[in-house]
Amino acid sequence: MPEQAIKDKTAIVGIGWTEFSRDSGVTPMTLAARASLAAIDDAGLRPRDVDGVVTWYHRRVDTVSAQELSNAMELDCRYEMFANEGGHWMCAGVMTAAAVVHAGICKNLLMYVARNGYSEGRKRRASERRLPTGTDQFSDPYGLQQAAAIFGLPVSTHMARYGTSTLDFAHLAVTQRKNASLNKKALMRQPITVEDHQSSRWISWPYRLLDCCQQNDGGVAIVITTAERARDLRHAPVYIMSGVGGDAPAELTWEGKGEQIAPALYEGAGISPKDVSLAELYDPFTGVCLLHMEDFGLAPKGEGGAWVREGRNSLDGDVPVNTHGGLHSEAHFIGLNHVIEAVQQLRPEGVVDDLCEGPHTYDRATCRQVRNPKIALLCGESGGSAMLLRSASL
Amino acid sequence: MTPDIAKPAPIADEDTQPFWDACKAHELRVQQCSACGRFRWPPRGFCPACFSWEHTWARLSGRGTVHSFSVVHHVVNPAFKAEAPYVVALISLEGTEGHVKLASNVVGCPWEEVRVGMEVEVVFQELNEDITLPKFRPVAG
Repeated sequence: MPEQAIKDKTAIVGIGWTEFSRDSGVTPMTLAARASLAAIDDAGLRPRDVDGVVTWYHRRVDTVSAQELSNAMELDCRYEMFANEGGHWMCAGVMTAAAVVHAGICKNLLMYVARNGYSEGRKRRASERRLPTGTDQFSDPYGLQQAAAIFGLPVSTHMARYGTSTLDFAHLAVTQRKNASLNKKALMRQPITVEDHQSSRWISWPYRLLDCCQQNDGGVAIVITTAERARDLRHAPVYIMSGVGGDAPAELTWEGKGEQIAPALYEGAGISPKDVSLAELYDPFTGVCLLHMEDFGLAPKGEGGAWVREGRNSLDGDVPVNTHGGLHSEAHFIGLNHVIEAVQQLRPEGVVDDLCEGPHTYDRATCRQVRNPKIALLCGESGGSAMLLRSASL
Repeated sequence: MTPDIAKPAPIADEDTQPFWDACKAHELRVQQCSACGRFRWPPRGFCPACFSWEHTWARLSGRGTVHSFSVVHHVVNPAFKAEAPYVVALISLEGTEGHVKLASNVVGCPWEEVRVGMEVEVVFQELNEDITLPKFRPVAG
């Protein structure tokens, strides 16, 4: 497979976020606008420079559409997209935006996720019942509706085949929480122990409470432009090397397809898994994240459990994973916050919201910056999409 | 049972109605392609292997193995509260060459005893006058 034509032709040049909370007290429009204006400013651009907007949601509209935000900001928009996708679309969304600027349709494209996922989402979930039509007619009647149950299924087969255990999940949870404790914007910063994990209540076997991601309010945004334009902007560009989208998880088995798309991803960038410096992998539940580590070649097949027990996913491990704490401990923005973390890690100045004052110390009591990272791997839910980013210094 | 806590009942469509009709008659049937013989799930008009539109509804033995499972302890939909903890599973159905994995419940044994690879057989449970659900219990012995 040849390298992708888009390799190094586009870059993420702006990142922004609002405060993350469980009670924003403002509308999704306000959250979207705050995050977007922050990302545009971070890029060194003005709002009028943005001429494309992409966002997405999962099944139920809980945000403002790209069209609404574009109208509200009175942008001179050349492209917008409002996709009903899930966490699997995280990198596919970024690649859509990259392709649109690479094609010359837009100059500077804004992508955001803004939602009152906790304060509004909980109320709405309690009052809404979805109709069991389509494939849902074969899951909902059995009480197979919530994500924790659905995403336990593929993990249970891995546990049976390889002996992966809930104790392995505990180590993964502890490591991600440790990372979040070094992240000022993370919602869950209180360190946890393996014992805390093992004594937390079952949500849906094989997942305990401390295996599960969270719901929250807030907004995050990024700005994407061409490599050529990126060089004149405020920050060193973080280049998009390659990306792939897909249709995982599989229909009615919820099994992942990361293993199938990984070769196209790595060959598209002309690199191999051993070149990856850090990874931000979709982590709705610990077990799903562990499978991603194997599917994209960070850990050998079947050895993900041992890999996380040995801390190879920690900040000073072989490949640090979810350096911000992930959906598990930072916040849940359908994965766009993973992209923001990768960009922060790959910029020359590194992350700006750890506990370091001044230059990064790499002291893990205060610093979450990975040492000299060059390439970041990102993947959406179940390997439904993936992407490789690189620093400007590679 | 008040309507607001009724369990979700399948809303059948043109592709899926024959499956539910068979369940009501206590038969487990899935589509098999008439051209290439491939079994498929969920019900669709065409074969995903050869794209033929011709098919039959093959009757299965009702036996299978647990391919994967979860055990729901924290119930989101209150209609399932009385049953928690309960087992949701994918059952790989015998006679389908691995192409049909049916989501269902494993019933008739404690949740701690359910294992991947466990042999199970269908048991039909009436949900309402229109719908009977195929569920699975461990094969005796």
